[in-house]
Amino acid sequence: MIRLLGVELTRLRWRRAVVVLLAGCALVTVVIFGGTAWSTRPVSDEDLRQAQEQVDEELAQPYMQRQIERCENRPQRWGVNNATQCAEMMGPRLEWYVSREELQVGRAFREAGLGVITILMGLLMLVGTTFAGADWNSGSMSNQLLFEPRRPRVWLAKAAGVLALSLTTAAVLVAGFGGALLLLANARGIDVPPEVPGWMAASGGRAVLLIGAAAIGAYAVTMLVRSTVFTLGAMFAVVVGATLVMALIGISEAWFPNKNLSAVIWNGAVYYVEPPSACFVDGRPPRGLDCNGRERLELVEAGRNLGGLLLVAGAASVWSFRRRDVP
Amino acid sequence: MSDLVIETTGLRKEFRTRRGGLRVAVQSLDLAVPAGGVHGFLGPNGSGKTTTIRMLLGLARATKGSMRLFGTEVPRGLPGVIDQVGAVVESPKFSPNFTGRQNLQLLARTRGIDRDRIDHALATVSLTGRDRDRYKSYSLGMKQRLAIAATLLKDPALLILDEPTNGLDPAGIREIRDTVRDLGEAGVTVLLSSHILAEVQQVCSSVTIIGNGRMLASGKVDDLLGASNVYRVRVSDHEHAVRRLEEAGFTVEPDHGVMRVETDRPPADITRILGESQLWLEELTAVRPDLETVFLELTSGEALGEGVKQ
Repeated sequence: MIRLLGVELTRLRWRRAVVVLLAGCALVTVVIFGGTAWSTRPVSDEDLRQAQEQVDEELAQPYMQRQIERCENRPQRWGVNNATQCAEMMGPRLEWYVSREELQVGRAFREAGLGVITILMGLLMLVGTTFAGADWNSGSMSNQLLFEPRRPRVWLAKAAGVLALSLTTAAVLVAGFGGALLLLANARGIDVPPEVPGWMAASGGRAVLLIGAAAIGAYAVTMLVRSTVFTLGAMFAVVVGATLVMALIGISEAWFPNKNLSAVIWNGAVYYVEPPSACFVDGRPPRGLDCNGRERLELVEAGRNLGGLLLVAGAASVWSFRRRDVP
Repeated sequence: MSDLVIETTGLRKEFRTRRGGLRVAVQSLDLAVPAGGVHGFLGPNGSGKTTTIRMLLGLARATKGSMRLFGTEVPRGLPGVIDQVGAVVESPKFSPNFTGRQNLQLLARTRGIDRDRIDHALATVSLTGRDRDRYKSYSLGMKQRLAIAATLLKDPALLILDEPTNGLDPAGIREIRDTVRDLGEAGVTVLLSSHILAEVQQVCSSVTIIGNGRMLASGKVDDLLGASNVYRVRVSDHEHAVRRLEEAGFTVEPDHGVMRVETDRPPADITRILGESQLWLEELTAVRPDLETVFLELTSGEALGEGVKQ
């Protein structure tokens, strides 16, 4: 089994599409980190000088001068105590032109980090599906089975290869992203609340596991349907189509894929439920009745939902691969 | 233990059609391939040859019947005998973006086969100079040769070749024919499925002919062709010779300057009778049906490419 796993890891390493997708994973992570670092960069003297120029330019405008003059003539009517405050109150302020927020590591990880996690998940699912799909498209699966006819072993070795690669890639990149945010904050002298690194590690760890599971799921579905294109269509249908259909027919948001993914990554997610009709009688909710329309999807529930889905896909895939004729 | 390398009993394969019907590709096939030599496996397109081979190799499930390789029941016991079996099934199937060598490396590592054997296999099929080119850049003949190289990685005792000369030029066909013959002479049992009947006749010691998933004939090539009782005879004085042979009780049919002589007597009698009349033989050849004739006679009632619908 170890030998087979080695073969599958080599096959993954040699597959050009896989290498391109891995490079894409790294690039996306670097770009998102770069974007975050750039958009939260400290205000420089040059930024301040340019902002001051814009303020001065604005102040020099005739309409601005007229406004300030009016204010200085009757300061009370303009809500200031004396005329010296008019220019400050009426005129443009320096911060309007340097409105960058300082880096907040926790927030950046939750927002930009979610982007990294989502894109990594998509790309590594593509790795899983293209890896299996290439074997079916080329017909080389039959050749492989002529050298290892124990089909469950072959399925497992390939799955283990996809899992190992996706977990390693996700772990390196998610940890790298989080670590880079912490280093950036440190370099900028920004204090990070003590609980944030631990929270990032826990969320990042769950995200890595989720990405690995998603890659395995994509692989399993491709081994079942034997087509990359079909798998991608099915994935799109589940993520987008199923959410739309569920929303239309009124199924609870607790079953929406995005809510479940969020709940796993962030240790629970809030979703909206229709409050009971009694909440709307007399315009005031009755005492003791929860009318805020918000429920919490716990990590365990979401893990159970997604794990069940993965288990069903995996079992169907193994069963099919064991029994069906191989072209 | 049986000395049969391949043995199937009552083998049957059904496919469900998209319209819910049933198509029988192989029915009640009893195939017996003895150890050693080259065994031809013949049949028209769609007769079930490839399906039978795929079932033997565990790529397709049999609906009914049993199969044995080296006396081991397959597909259950296939992992135990797979190291002794090399096979090319239909067209070669490798990863197009890997080089020929990479494709072989992956297969070899699956069974823990040494790298030396890769070099040996590539050299055997004359692909050493192109082994680092991508598989998709190969010609059909090179792809076929790479597939044969893959079968040689395992040093197999049984080689199953399904149309191995497809796409090869005459020189390539000859190379493969020589390789197959050499392997057969070296003690490897070769099951050779081919449409090129002249090739099969040259290389195979025994054949099985199937049609519509059923066995039509099986046995040694010589037995299938049958003993000849027709001879082609040429002498300079054609008319005199015809007269003499007819007087001696032979059935003679003149045929464009030669005679077709039909007799159950030994051909030496023809030589003796003509010699006694000072008629000297220029040619005396036994006229035997070739494998193609036998094949076409056996399969003439079999629909091509349809299988049996039930």
